[in-house]
Amino acid sequence: MKKHIAIVEDEPALRENYAAALGRYGYAVKTYGNRKNAMQAFQIRLPDLAIIDISLEDEAEGGFDLCRDLRALSAELPIIFLTARDSELDAVSGLRLGADDFLTKDVSLPHLAARVAALFRRIDALRRPGDAAEIVRRGALAIDGEKMQTTWNGSPVALSLTEFWIVHALARNPGHVKNRQQLMDAANVVLDDTTITSHIKRVRRKFQQCDPTFDAIQTVYGMGYRWVE
Amino acid sequence: MSIRLQLLLVALTTLILPWAGCQYARELEAALRDSQEQSLLAGARTIANALSAQPQRVFRDPDEVTRFVPGRGDLYVYPLRGAPLLDGYRDDWGIAADPVPWPTATGYAARVQAGSTTRYLYLYIEVDDPHFDAEPSDVHPERDRFDRVDLDLEGPDGSRAYYFFGTSAPGLIAAQSIVNGGDGRDHAAPEPRIQAYWLQSAAGYHLEVRIPANFLGARLWIEARDGQTGASAGVNALHDPDGGHLFSKTAGLDELLGTFIRDGIRATVIDSNALKLGVAGNLGDGAPGDPAAAAQSWYRWFMPIDASSFPPFSSPPDRLGGDSVTAALAGHPHAQWVRSTDGEQLLLTAAAPLAIDGKTRGAVLLEEAADQLLSLRDRAVSRLFDFTLLATAAAVIVTFGFATWISLRLGRLRDAADSAVSSDGKIRLDIPESTRADEIGALARGFERLLTRLNEHTQYLRTLGGKLSHELRTPLTIVRSSLDNLEAEGMSQDQRLYVNRARDGTLRLQSILSALGAAARVEESIRQAEFINVDLRELLASAVAAYQDGFKDARFALETPADPCFIRGAPDLLVQLLDKLVDNAVDFCPLGGTITVLLERRAGAYVLQVQNDGPPIPPALLGRLFESLFEQRQDRGDKPHFGLGLYIVRLIAEFHGGAAVAANRPDGGGAVFAITLPLI
Repeated sequence: MKKHIAIVEDEPALRENYAAALGRYGYAVKTYGNRKNAMQAFQIRLPDLAIIDISLEDEAEGGFDLCRDLRALSAELPIIFLTARDSELDAVSGLRLGADDFLTKDVSLPHLAARVAALFRRIDALRRPGDAAEIVRRGALAIDGEKMQTTWNGSPVALSLTEFWIVHALARNPGHVKNRQQLMDAANVVLDDTTITSHIKRVRRKFQQCDPTFDAIQTVYGMGYRWVE
Repeated sequence: MSIRLQLLLVALTTLILPWAGCQYARELEAALRDSQEQSLLAGARTIANALSAQPQRVFRDPDEVTRFVPGRGDLYVYPLRGAPLLDGYRDDWGIAADPVPWPTATGYAARVQAGSTTRYLYLYIEVDDPHFDAEPSDVHPERDRFDRVDLDLEGPDGSRAYYFFGTSAPGLIAAQSIVNGGDGRDHAAPEPRIQAYWLQSAAGYHLEVRIPANFLGARLWIEARDGQTGASAGVNALHDPDGGHLFSKTAGLDELLGTFIRDGIRATVIDSNALKLGVAGNLGDGAPGDPAAAAQSWYRWFMPIDASSFPPFSSPPDRLGGDSVTAALAGHPHAQWVRSTDGEQLLLTAAAPLAIDGKTRGAVLLEEAADQLLSLRDRAVSRLFDFTLLATAAAVIVTFGFATWISLRLGRLRDAADSAVSSDGKIRLDIPESTRADEIGALARGFERLLTRLNEHTQYLRTLGGKLSHELRTPLTIVRSSLDNLEAEGMSQDQRLYVNRARDGTLRLQSILSALGAAARVEESIRQAEFINVDLRELLASAVAAYQDGFKDARFALETPADPCFIRGAPDLLVQLLDKLVDNAVDFCPLGGTITVLLERRAGAYVLQVQNDGPPIPPALLGRLFESLFEQRQDRGDKPHFGLGLYIVRLIAEFHGGAAVAANRPDGGGAVFAITLPLI
């Protein structure tokens, strides 16, 4: 059965481009130009995944509202924010509202498709019971590559998709310095240095919420980051 | 010149008030002087008219006009206050004038002075004759040779009498006359009523003679003769029968004059020879108003009394002189300001002719001390000065205060304008004085409007990069996603070539956009940065190692202290700062050149220097390199430059409480960028 993807984006050309690309990957895509239309359709039937722009027509933060409403309808529905904005605040707000990923519009269509596929894979993996084959363990850290879930000392750490891939790339080869480009490649995103830095910061903070002594991600100034055990 | 000084100068123009006051006082004084002249002249005329009606009380002989000729032995008889002692000295005469030299043809010198009391005529005769020739006994003046003085008197009835003085020994003597003796010969007989004192000195002899008034008429001849040589001085009654007139004051005229005048005025009546006939009144010494005090008044510096233009005037005991007297004797009333020769007294003199039967026979001269007038003027002027100076001082103080206030306000406005735009382009909008209603307030509001507009414009420019990068991102994404779709549709080899070129273009555009937004992102990350303890030494070591890998064309040198160098800071931002500095250094460093990263500990701070070989920075640019959007690169590479790199460096340095400066190496071989970071 084809997966249903809803794209809420007020820019028609972009909307159609995304729709065409994702359609090519075999998804059923529905596009909406504003929050009202989208919400009406969602109340009738929920999509399997929603890609939402933050500013929608005359609502500068319409995407956030839509995300909140959508999250109220379904707790599991994967939501990707796609926005021209790249400010730290927007990313934090979006992720706090329960979005699974936060992408800037710099992302290429194949990358976007990879994200979408990854999220569907995670959903599928979560629905499939107990399979621990893909689990990577590094001390207190356990990464389930299939379900894209991370735990620290057994307690789950809620990472966004980008964050998950960054942690995954670092932890797979402990002690190896990963520079920013490598991390971007791993996460299938194009980000500038500051954004990578803030992603790392956010990841550290999320781990520190589980374990205040967390210090496994080390900065190698001028080069990048590495995982130390 | 400051406004304060200008207004002060303007205020000084009020000094014109005292000046105008001076002019007014001068005119007032001139008018007063004129009126005083007129009044004194009127007084003189009145007295002259009154006296001309009773000439017999003025002149001894109203009908006779006698010219005073000194050369023929005419003598003025001074009035004496008391009877002098007959002792050969005239000290007790109380007359300031010297005896007059007696006419001589032979070089024999004698001087004579006459004085009178009511009862006697006194003569004082001084003869220069060191050699005393004594009078022989049984003397006869025609025959014997001895030092003698001849005296011919014209009696009240017109008869003549001859007397002579000679002595065998100096002392009190009597005059001798020649009488017909019983033996038919002429003998010298003493006339005891005419007494004299013969005083011999080294220079000659003095003879003080006393003659009863009733012996005397209008004339008298005196001749001194040397016994040895026969030389003589004086006038002989036989040779000069026309001479020897005696001139004296008219008895009773002083009292008469005294009835005409008031205090402070001296009236003098003179005859046509200008000799005094009568004097009355005194020039008060202590005139009212205390002229001495007025003369010392300080504003006399500005308004001196110019007495030098007044002719000197003296009133000797016997006669009067001066323009007034000359004019009056010529028949014209005349008033004149004069200055007394004895001291600095200013006098007003007014003379009116004394005419009898239409002929000018003399004059009346009135003198008045001018001190009273001066003191009057001084009082007026001093009050005027006091008031105007007070007013001027008040005006100057008020103006100065006002000017100070204005310039203070202008200074505040200037300071605000100076500091309105800070070096990092931030604009302060709080302009002082803008709530005032006056022109300065309007100026301040003008500044405020200007700054507000400037601020809007600057804000616009400042956010333009971020806005541009944001607004262009969507169309760029449309282009890129369309290219992605196009590629997925399948293309020919040629089409793929063009699509790839288009994609390269979009990548370039994207890097430009992210560079444009970089400063805004750094400002945002600064807001969110957290400080931790950072070891600069370790940070530099790791970063410089990475740079050496990244930039193959440049050589890197690192110099740090031996110990860890901890500061409080945000390591990510510090690395970003270093990135920008090294980026910059690499751009300017020639191929194979060295980039030196140097960390030193100086007083209270660490100094991080990034030096590179290469061209020095033009001195004019040194201070501006760290400004936002400042870019003066000559050779533009493929990397976009918006002049934000060094601005970001400064933002980060200042965020850490430090500073960023650029300089050239002393050897001129390159540039140095130094960042000061305070110690913990």
